[in-house]
Amino acid sequence: MLTGVFTTLSVSILSFLLGLAIGLPLAFTRAYESKPVQILVDGFEKVFRGVPELVMMLLFYFGIGLYVPNPFKNAFFTATFVLGLRSAANQSQIFRGAIRGIGEEQMVAARSLGLSRLHSIIHVMIPQVFIFSTPGLGSEYALLVKDSSYAFVIGVIDMMAITDWIRKGTGDTVTPYLLAAFLYILLTFPIATWLDTWGSRKKKQLGL
Amino acid sequence: MARHVGEQKEEAVGAVERKMTDTVMECRDLWKTYGKIIAIKDVSLKISEGDIKLIFGPSGSGKSTLLRCLAMLTPPTKGDVFLRGECLTRGSVDLNKARARIGFVFQHIWLFHHLNALGNVELALRHVLKLPKNEAREKAMQALKEVKLEEWAHHYPAQLSGGQQQRVGIARALARNPDIILLDEPTSALDPELTGEVIDTLRDLAKKGTTMLIVSHEMPFAREVADEMIFFDEGAIVETGPPEQFFTNPISERAKKFMARLIKRTRRE
Repeated sequence: MLTGVFTTLSVSILSFLLGLAIGLPLAFTRAYESKPVQILVDGFEKVFRGVPELVMMLLFYFGIGLYVPNPFKNAFFTATFVLGLRSAANQSQIFRGAIRGIGEEQMVAARSLGLSRLHSIIHVMIPQVFIFSTPGLGSEYALLVKDSSYAFVIGVIDMMAITDWIRKGTGDTVTPYLLAAFLYILLTFPIATWLDTWGSRKKKQLGL
Repeated sequence: MARHVGEQKEEAVGAVERKMTDTVMECRDLWKTYGKIIAIKDVSLKISEGDIKLIFGPSGSGKSTLLRCLAMLTPPTKGDVFLRGECLTRGSVDLNKARARIGFVFQHIWLFHHLNALGNVELALRHVLKLPKNEAREKAMQALKEVKLEEWAHHYPAQLSGGQQQRVGIARALARNPDIILLDEPTSALDPELTGEVIDTLRDLAKKGTTMLIVSHEMPFAREVADEMIFFDEGAIVETGPPEQFFTNPISERAKKFMARLIKRTRRE
């Protein structure tokens, strides 16, 4: 069971980080770039927010994996990849809301000092974007932990897969699922709540 | 008669001085339009080393837009801006480098909420001038000292009063030793009892010979420090002259009316 917990956590955290690495630039692209680029980003977000992750995983693993087996026939990779892109689309929305909430003023003040746009984003916008995004990021992480359970369908040995083995082995259809439910709660809420509390405390301190 | 001669003499001395000093910032035939709305209409002005010029006029007349165009925070529609003779509006000028030499103080202060006072002042020193950490810190502390806030260096903007925040804003603008500081109504968003400390800070800067272009309606302050006052209305310069001209006998009818209203308001306060 412990290896299952470890796999579930790995898929969730890696896809969260992938989502962060892609979602943050996407959010700033939508906020500051030209119309055609914005439309492209919007299209990406619509696809990954609209199509169920189970469909995406199956499509990449069995469909695209048939033609590009490396790396898509690696179930762990494909699960993380699909969840990561879905998360990027979600996180981009979360960050965009934060950018809007912060407003143009901080950017203008940064540019007035002679900072380039990139430096302004890195030193002035991003730290504040994170503070504004914490409740959303917390629920996004919880969502990823839960949705990582789809990965067992394409053969990732995560918590879900091991739960299923135990059920098959013992014939008990209640205890393994209750145990899994309990473990999923244990993996989601402490981190989500911690993020939320940190964000609120920071907001209060900075008067935001 | 004697007074007349004296004035002439003063003017002559002024002319010699002006010839010797450099023009720090200049704009020629500057226009800014938003669709059909004209915000700035054919404005030309020149600020020399050590000059303090004060722009005033009714709200919505385009004073803030003019300042933003001069700092190239908003690109002008037509006309040119020069910083020490270098044209900022044509060719491929590195505007970030130009802005690094122009200090800007905002009406609504706009400090960086997530950084303490020191962090606010330090940011440009670190990431624009690329000074090493220690040197940046030292310079930032020096700037905070100039606005008498060194003890507040580690407080966040939310923990400071409005007047203190604006003084940090001034320190942030002056830490890089810019060629000129543009101030957009630095006291008008503050409670009346907090304007004094900001005015005192500006007075200190004036004494040190800082080149400044200030939008303000603090009339006693203007009279005291301004070399020249510029009355601005409907996007254009209506009248220019020494403070005394405006306080005793403005030439244009519009300036006359505006001054009368301002002086009445100041008396009430």
